[in-house]
Amino acid sequence: MATPTYDLLESVTLASLASSVTFSSIDQSYGDLILVMNPIASSVGITPYTRLNGDTGGNYNWVRMTGSGSSTESSAQASRTSFDFSYPGGRNDSSTLFIQQFMDFSATDKHTTVLARHNNPSDAVAAYAGRWANTSAVTSLTIFASFSNFAAGATFNLYGIAKTVV
Amino acid sequence: MSLIPFGFWAASGGGGAANAYDLLETTTLTSNTASVTFSGLGDYSDYAHLQIRIVSRTSDATTNANINLNFNGDTGTNYATHDLEGNGTSVGSGSAASIANIRVAQNIGTSLADAWPAAVIDILDFSSGLKNTTTRTLNGWASSSTPRIFLRSGLWNDTSAVTSMSFALSSGDFIAASRLSLYGVK
Repeated sequence: MATPTYDLLESVTLASLASSVTFSSIDQSYGDLILVMNPIASSVGITPYTRLNGDTGGNYNWVRMTGSGSSTESSAQASRTSFDFSYPGGRNDSSTLFIQQFMDFSATDKHTTVLARHNNPSDAVAAYAGRWANTSAVTSLTIFASFSNFAAGATFNLYGIAKTVV
Repeated sequence: MSLIPFGFWAASGGGGAANAYDLLETTTLTSNTASVTFSGLGDYSDYAHLQIRIVSRTSDATTNANINLNFNGDTGTNYATHDLEGNGTSVGSGSAASIANIRVAQNIGTSLADAWPAAVIDILDFSSGLKNTTTRTLNGWASSSTPRIFLRSGLWNDTSAVTSMSFALSSGDFIAASRLSLYGVK
């Protein structure tokens, strides 16, 4: 029996400047979450960072690879206080599409893995893998600007992907 | 949902269109298992594409176990792959042709006990009997050592409609709590 899914859980379009957006009380019946955002910023250099369950400890690790059109780059970070998926050049002012997939987010027997893709036509294309070093289920997700604010018109959409056939 | 500290509006998606993405099957392992097969895929021919979402580890103490994919039980050398890999220091690329499966993703094992590799694999136009089958994958993990991020493509050099898919590791078993979920995309 097919189970319709890829359900829109919440959608936010900013009407004015905001420093962060939080999705809380996330439905635990889903297996994966997909966050799709176009986090246009109020000034050059602002990057969207993601934090789970309000955890500000050094529990975030990630690796990335990027292509700029003229070169490739890979780097990794450990013990960060958020998924600070920074970008070569630090530009997130132009229209970008950032998709983050939180795999098995509701499981309590494994660290949460995130797979992400960042598309910024002005600068580069990137892919990321991240790990939240915590076996808790993800119940809230906060996206915050690395400094200053997101701009009016920035969009943040959260989708749920079922893992149980009903 | 809350927004800090400024104003916003929220909107939900509108209706009308038919649902186009369905969960078809899920396997969550309760014990270590050598392979996972999804069969009877001909029943899903009303879907255009399939997607597999995997969170898994291998039982071996390896940092490099391929997840190998075979279609329709074909173990001939009818597959090819390309990959782009970031290892935290540099980006590399590899390929293989005339191989006995698609190296559709990579796993790690007990030597890196903290991370659970994940993969999102798309199998495009799987029920067509007119073209070879192509796959694409986003795969990675962020262990405290040897983190990896991959983009991969795969080819099954056969125009048959896909009726079954088998996933197995090049080293060890899928461990208990690994999950493989199959979705259909219309």
